[in-house]
Amino acid sequence: MLVRIGLLTEGGYPYVSGDARLWCDRLVRGLGGHEFDIYALSRSERQEDEGWIELPPQVSRVRTAPLWTAEDDGVVYGRRARRRFAEVYGELASSLCAGPGAGSTPDGSDAATAEADRFASALYGLAELARDEGGLVGALRSEAAVRALERACRAPGAQGAAREARVPDLLTVAAYLERALRPLSLDWYGDDGLGSVDLCHAAAGGPAALPGLLAHHFSGVPLLVTEYGVPLRAHYLASGADDNAPAVRSLLAAFHGRLASEVYRRAELVTPGNTHTRRWQERCGADREKLRTVYPGMDASHFAEVGESPETGDTDTLIWVGRIEPAKDLVSLLHAFAEVRKEEPKTRLRVIGAATGAESEAYLGHCRALAAQLFPDEAEGMHAVGDNPVSFEEIGGPEAPTLAEAYAAGAVVVLSSVVEGFPISLVEAMFCGRATVSTDVGAVVEIIGGTGLVVPPRNPRALAEACVALLRAPARRERLGAAARARALELFTVEQNVEAFHGIYLEVVARCPVHKVVLDDTGEPLPFAVPAESHVPGRWTQAGIGVVARGGPSWATGRASAPVQATPVPAGEGVR
Amino acid sequence: MSELGELDRPGTPDSPGAWDEHSEEWLTGAPETDVRDTETTQTPSQTTTPATRAARRGTADPVKALMHRHRELCERAVDPLEIAAGLEAHGVTDRTAARFRHRDVFSLAEEMYARLSKDVETAPRSTPSPAPGVRADWVLLSVLPGALCAATVTGLHLTEGRIRPAVATLCALAVALAVRAALGRGPLSARSHPAPPGTYPRRTPAATRVWTYWLLAYALLGDDLLTAALTDGPDGVPAAVRDLSAAPALALTLACVPAAWCAHLFAVGARRKLAASRGLADFTAAVKPLLLGAVALFLCLSTALVALSATLLHEPAAYTTTVTLGALLLLARLLTKHGFTHAPAVVLGAAAAAEAATLATAFASHLPGCAFLAAPLDAVVAAGGPAAIPAVACGGAGLLLLLHATRSLTRASAHATPGEPG
Repeated sequence: MLVRIGLLTEGGYPYVSGDARLWCDRLVRGLGGHEFDIYALSRSERQEDEGWIELPPQVSRVRTAPLWTAEDDGVVYGRRARRRFAEVYGELASSLCAGPGAGSTPDGSDAATAEADRFASALYGLAELARDEGGLVGALRSEAAVRALERACRAPGAQGAAREARVPDLLTVAAYLERALRPLSLDWYGDDGLGSVDLCHAAAGGPAALPGLLAHHFSGVPLLVTEYGVPLRAHYLASGADDNAPAVRSLLAAFHGRLASEVYRRAELVTPGNTHTRRWQERCGADREKLRTVYPGMDASHFAEVGESPETGDTDTLIWVGRIEPAKDLVSLLHAFAEVRKEEPKTRLRVIGAATGAESEAYLGHCRALAAQLFPDEAEGMHAVGDNPVSFEEIGGPEAPTLAEAYAAGAVVVLSSVVEGFPISLVEAMFCGRATVSTDVGAVVEIIGGTGLVVPPRNPRALAEACVALLRAPARRERLGAAARARALELFTVEQNVEAFHGIYLEVVARCPVHKVVLDDTGEPLPFAVPAESHVPGRWTQAGIGVVARGGPSWATGRASAPVQATPVPAGEGVR
Repeated sequence: MSELGELDRPGTPDSPGAWDEHSEEWLTGAPETDVRDTETTQTPSQTTTPATRAARRGTADPVKALMHRHRELCERAVDPLEIAAGLEAHGVTDRTAARFRHRDVFSLAEEMYARLSKDVETAPRSTPSPAPGVRADWVLLSVLPGALCAATVTGLHLTEGRIRPAVATLCALAVALAVRAALGRGPLSARSHPAPPGTYPRRTPAATRVWTYWLLAYALLGDDLLTAALTDGPDGVPAAVRDLSAAPALALTLACVPAAWCAHLFAVGARRKLAASRGLADFTAAVKPLLLGAVALFLCLSTALVALSATLLHEPAAYTTTVTLGALLLLARLLTKHGFTHAPAVVLGAAAAAEAATLATAFASHLPGCAFLAAPLDAVVAAGGPAAIPAVACGGAGLLLLLHATRSLTRASAHATPGEPG
């Protein structure tokens, strides 16, 4: 079955510097049987200037819009439009002032549902206004918007922080909302745009999913949201760093929270990338039945050779691979290594990775100094030149030319972080069939399953004990490594990722197909105007008249008297 | 070792979350304590369990200790989820939360949020964005047109004969460039009031420019032309162009200085009121007198400058025309700068059209059979002199713009400074 997918991205695919472009690229290339329309929001002028990556032929169209700038189209509202805007924007503002958006009531009480409905109707009201009248950018910047915000903040039901809002705070919030609501003014939602796809797939939550919400609202297109990180959480972390007033932060947090829960509410399916993201989504009101965890896929082919071959590395060597930064807690690792050396004096530790940035450089320098203090240089005999049992190397050096060889060089791969998201290096080690010892942070337990040892973070003694246990037991190492590789190949390959999305696409399209009613010239619905064959895979019309392919068979186009005329009919009118 | 100790932050995540010194101490403390324990007790098989750790720390209320460690995070948080996000960035997981007898980080964060004493509500105020300072560049640039114009006038007095037109052209060009530079920098420039983030910078519409040039040209030539047209008809034009009056030009270029300062005072005052006022109505009420005061100040100063330039050049002082034109141009500039480009273009165009219509009527009255056209003009000129026409046109236009400005420039949204939306 041929599915036409509208892929929605924000600051990502197909831009060269986009986030998650690798994942999107693999997905689009892996699903050659489907047709992709890409709707991309760019994040900065520089990103736009850098251009796109090469697109495969199944991408039939790309539409882009900037989020970093907006041109006022100069439309000045008449009295009625002005009143409509003030009303809708006031609703939006008061739903933001009513309290924290997501999370406070995960059980979904009536009051919370009513608030969510109010936010949603205001959001769609603004989108409808933008579609009918245009000029939303100017209106969102106008005094009327600021006044509506002020009224909402001073209203009796407003929460404490919002009531404190002063004039500069109101201006900041209005400017932020204008920026966040820019996707509402886009011309993507017509029947020639997102209205014509079978399924919207938002590659991230937040702003990327906003066009999907509107397409769902206007044309009933089902929405699928994939999140490898939680935009709401990212917003909280970012807002912790700026010095905005509490009123501003509380209103903006409410906006992001409400937007997130509206996205989760409307989405047909939500696919978090790991359990952590899933927990946040549940917290923000996502229905558990809608959640399907789809692990990110990684290219396993680089590691195939190392993974297939028997253990070749030095049996007394511990390997640490990653980007060197304070969160990786190398100090703890060095202390743990000191413990290991008490038990197994011949052990060596290789720290492979680079430090980027001043803080990381300083941290690396400190780790080197600590290693030199803890472990004096050693030599084979009286006449040999010694060196330190701890070595710091970079990928591409003579000792570790490739990543796979770096993993292969040791007996045990260690991960000592105190904070982690989805540790890639752990998955790579699993692909290489190495036994691992890792700290219990982030998604580590979820990734490793039972195929490696896990110790509490910031516990060098436990880390050391686990390492010693593995160093002393080659058979156990081999068993764990093989199991880890098998697990990784089953869960974390590109193929499983693409296959999972393929299944999800078919499921979503089968469960909620977009019912298009095609009208003829007199406004009467045309029966059988969209035949079932239009969903048959493969291109059975010549390229260039894609509309016809969806509307009717190609032999019908050339004849004026043909009963089913796809081309002149305004397809998709009166949807639903 | 103290320097190394500063760097020794085994637990410090490189995350955007706030990371105060207390949590840093906590983190640096934890692993070191563990290691020391190992060294002294020599019991390698015993791992530190949460229970022993809590016992060692001797805290009856672990959540309180946690709140103390993340005090800054808790004080800043606007809802429980923000605390949860901050805690996670510091490495707190559901398993850590279990130590505090909570199911997950979210419920732990909720308890922390609920236990925040509500008297901490006096959260730190955001510092108002710094007011635009007095900078040497725009102060000097605003003086430049007046100085160049004075030099031009002196040069024209000193030179004779065929070199004079060349000097006049060159100097006029220099003055025009100087005016452009003065308007491009400082409080009169569109850049001094940056457009909201992510919008295209506001540009002065072409119509506004054209009408401004026309009004300036009329201020220099118009009165003489009108007199000549009413008396001699088209024959008097060359003579009128030859002895154009320099005093208005000098006064107007000198008026760039008070214009820049008045705009600066208005901008600074508005910024201060913005930070201080509690509501939009307060702000409007506070800014209105500020705007009127700035315009009145400009009127007084430019009147003084007109008198000065007239005395210096021994010419009659054309108070009404010059002062009203100056005020009109200042208001148009202020409005354009704050993004209201439509009204200035229309009003300037109307004033220019009125002047042009007067001149055209005066010339047309010399056509055969059209002498009746001159009658109303003659009456006006007889009553108030030729200067009455531009004075009425510019004065009326200025009043209109002032009315518009008291409505639009006193809105808070006109003074929005770029925030930093993420």
